Amino acid sequence: MFQIDYYAYSNRMVSIHPAEKFLFSFITMLICLAINSYAVSLAVILLMTGAVVLRAGIPWGLYLKLMALPAAFLLVGVAAIALSVSFSGQAAGTFWGFSLAGVSVGVSAGGLALAGKIFLKSLAAACCLYFLALTTPMVDIISLLRKIKAPSLFMELMGLVYRFIFVMAETAEKIYTSQSSRLGYVNLNRGYHSLGQLVSNLFVKSYHRSKMLFIALTSRCYNGEITVLERNYSLSPGNIAVILLLDTGLVLFGIWEKWGGPAA
Amino acid sequence: MTEIIMEARDVVHQYPDGTRALNNITLSLEKGKKIAFLGPNGAGKSTLFLHFNGILKPARGKIIFRGREIRYDHSSLTELRKNVGIVFQDPEIQLFSASVYQEISFGPLNMGLSREEVRRRVDRAMEITGVTGLKNKATHYLSYGQKKRVSIADILAMNPQVIIFDEPTSGLDPKLTGQIMELFDGFSREGKTVILSTHDVNAAYSWADHVIVIKDGSVAGEGEPEDIFQDDGLLAAADLDKPWLVDVYRQLRSRGLVAEGCGVPRTREKLFGLIRNI
Repeated sequence: MFQIDYYAYSNRMVSIHPAEKFLFSFITMLICLAINSYAVSLAVILLMTGAVVLRAGIPWGLYLKLMALPAAFLLVGVAAIALSVSFSGQAAGTFWGFSLAGVSVGVSAGGLALAGKIFLKSLAAACCLYFLALTTPMVDIISLLRKIKAPSLFMELMGLVYRFIFVMAETAEKIYTSQSSRLGYVNLNRGYHSLGQLVSNLFVKSYHRSKMLFIALTSRCYNGEITVLERNYSLSPGNIAVILLLDTGLVLFGIWEKWGGPAA
Repeated sequence: MTEIIMEARDVVHQYPDGTRALNNITLSLEKGKKIAFLGPNGAGKSTLFLHFNGILKPARGKIIFRGREIRYDHSSLTELRKNVGIVFQDPEIQLFSASVYQEISFGPLNMGLSREEVRRRVDRAMEITGVTGLKNKATHYLSYGQKKRVSIADILAMNPQVIIFDEPTSGLDPKLTGQIMELFDGFSREGKTVILSTHDVNAAYSWADHVIVIKDGSVAGEGEPEDIFQDDGLLAAADLDKPWLVDVYRQLRSRGLVAEGCGVPRTREKLFGLIRNI
């Protein structure tokens, strides 16, 4: 998670208007979900991978590691779809299967195809979200949500939570270091004990910190609403044209592949 | 012609357990001066600073800013806080935003300034504190020294008449300490009243126009640095060390190597000048 955050600030697309990246990610995802075909899903995965690795400069290793996460979950998920269970002998259309005590479990061509389709479609959607997460700092995403009139209370909370995740992680790390330097994690039993103390200590510290934060904000004329100046980005007509071109191409490809293509 | 900008009169602040953090403290601060507060931990310096900014309200006594007693209604407090800024000791507590630029813009925006004016002020504050290059960085990827600078820019962007620094140099290396003290000199040249608390007697001695020693919630002594740091009784009572310049000067004096009446040197250069003349 911290690695994603790190690259969100240091990738080669960081200076691009967040709205452009947001649109690209979401329109592409919508197209992929709406058309729902192997080819389009594969195209989206390739497109997003290209954008993340080649354009934004995220290392391959990290990207593949990140993709392995949803892929693993999806594999387990679609496995259930691929298998068909029947209680009345061998199910129709299965090319592989076994029976056990009157229940037959099998894999049919249709089930396998459906599983593959869902797997690719979901992975493609995950790619779209990774693209946004890896190229756009959280601060920009919050600014964008604020611009499209998301409730300001939630945006303030989101901003504060985001900021203090890092403060808390650092505090937890310091407590952990100081505990381990005194053999706090020498065995499992002591480990559980120390972890409990770490968590309760973290809670007390966070509470204290929130009070101090309120004082610090108040001293700067805080009046119940956090208003800040957003960074100025300029929209690039070139980028918008590229996004439109790519997504239009994707739609046309999808239509051709689904209704007019040779496979149909 | 001296003008008093801030005053505390018989201020008492009590913790819930009854101990007095401030015990009938009375003092007045001159406009445009560089004022250093010294004293042991827990003497009440931070508590006093929070009174100057209207965060804490005295249980008894009053705080007077520019000749008027502070009132604690919303608009009076806002007016006070526009004029008196505090830079807190721990930048981690003060910095609430993950973006440096947004962070610094918070104070001036609260003052109701136009967006253009806020942009100008933020840019200027970043330039003075040397953080312009960090504009688009995330707060959590800054070093401690950088965070400290951003926390100073936070307040500078509000352009207050009085800036209070609560232990600004704690945790900073000597080079950064020097740079920060130079920044404070700059604020002072602009006519701002600069107040800081510190445990660094050498820095306070060389930098301050006026030194106030706080002990057990009241003023143990105050005056010009030359006088304060030669008052052995006061220094012992407040557990303060003597600045090295004063120590060396005293040694030279006791050996009769420097003439009486040439005064205690405030800077390294002045002391070396004295030694050259021996």
